Amino acid sequence: MNILITAASSATARIIADSLSGNHMIRLTDLSHNAKGDMIANDLDHGALTDDLVSGINAIINIGFEGQDGTDTHLMDYHTRCTYNLLYAASGSGVSKFINISTLRLYQNHEENLVVTERWRTDPSAEDVAILGAHMTEVVCKEFARDRLVDVVNLRFGWPFVEAVLPDSSYTAATTYDLIAATVSESLLSDQLGPWQDVHVQSPVKHQRFITNTAAKFFPKLAGRLSQ
Amino acid sequence: MKILILGGNGMLGPWAVRALKDRHEILLTDINERHPDYQGDYLQLSVADVDGVVEAAKDMDVIVNLSVLRPHRQDAFDVNTMGNYAMMVAARKHGIKRVINSGPHYQMAGQQYEDWDFDLNPDMPPAAGTRLYAHTKALGQEVCRVFSQRHGIQVITLLYYNMKHSWDLSGMEPGGPQYHQDMVPYSTAWPDCGTAVQAAVEVPESRLATRCETFFVFPDLPHGKFNNEKIKRVLGWKPRYQVEGLWNKDFRTPPDNLHGAF
Repeated sequence: MNILITAASSATARIIADSLSGNHMIRLTDLSHNAKGDMIANDLDHGALTDDLVSGINAIINIGFEGQDGTDTHLMDYHTRCTYNLLYAASGSGVSKFINISTLRLYQNHEENLVVTERWRTDPSAEDVAILGAHMTEVVCKEFARDRLVDVVNLRFGWPFVEAVLPDSSYTAATTYDLIAATVSESLLSDQLGPWQDVHVQSPVKHQRFITNTAAKFFPKLAGRLSQ
Repeated sequence: MKILILGGNGMLGPWAVRALKDRHEILLTDINERHPDYQGDYLQLSVADVDGVVEAAKDMDVIVNLSVLRPHRQDAFDVNTMGNYAMMVAARKHGIKRVINSGPHYQMAGQQYEDWDFDLNPDMPPAAGTRLYAHTKALGQEVCRVFSQRHGIQVITLLYYNMKHSWDLSGMEPGGPQYHQDMVPYSTAWPDCGTAVQAAVEVPESRLATRCETFFVFPDLPHGKFNNEKIKRVLGWKPRYQVEGLWNKDFRTPPDNLHGAF
């Protein structure tokens, strides 16, 4: 499969790219001021450059949370306009699947004792533009899915991302690197997902904050990693 | 009240000014130069200039955002999405309790609603789709909703679509008014578009069910496609022009062009 990964300089993109590179053709891209090495520098403006970026691509993995740094206005612009441009180009190019990497921090204002699932409305911060931006990216993605222009898998991962879950860890929503990678891999391969599908993923930890039944249902190979 | 109007030089702005100018203090802003007929306080300002909007909003009681940009991708996001972000950042910074947002009805009731259903109302979940104008306006609205939710800012959103001159019911389409034809079932006369802004500015908070309320702005129309009950009930808006010349077969004689906005 030919896969494009955005915000390739970000830590999340590196986790995913490293795990997929053995089985897929990976094209890495980032904004021109971030791109380095073999990444394609692209500012995700509308036009031929972005069309070229997605040409021949089967699936896009978009880092929709903490993929970029910068001012609040830059982040808002990236998460709205740039995402729109990417999806617009993708839908015109026949990209079949768009995997958006989002965050369960969209629910961080909910009390921990609530049984939050994909059926719950997110409650993003207006103060933290990284989180507001993640929310805005989801909104953009959903409209492209609603218009049936591209199928979107919206993966909301718990935080923080960790190498391994330690027994005495106080993180109740931590997600391990290998679970992130495995979830993305399964999302690419699954043919059970609809045009728009939210999936919540975190590692099994003590006092686990989020329910991951949807992930277990759609990605049965992950079942062992999603429960203790 | 002291009111900051963003994007006030467009099609709707002058009518809002006409409705507000004798009742409130207005600072009119727009990316373009002052209209020669406008005599009030004026500041040339892009709504996408976050710092500029924050500065202009100092000491204001209400912000009204009437800015619109449709066709150009970058500009549409700058104006329709970032402009609302600027407005809400300004409201948060200065403790402004009410903002009035505006847009087209399809930023909420997108094509997937309109092509299928009737009695569409402003409390439906938004489904704008991906058309640039609708989408960018919907994103701006979502920014408003989140800020309202988190910071308690009262957001009143007025959704318009097809505006008509009151004297001959012509609109922006070329070729003059068309009578005895099917009409857009969401048409409003320009002066009434302005008085809706006044109603939104002045409505007591106690009449609003939540801090983020949306209203369809059009007079009674017989189609049953959209529902205007809420704006009449909650804002007490009473359109003067019923645009019935568009939907019955009475004939109206178009007069000379008239610009009574300011």
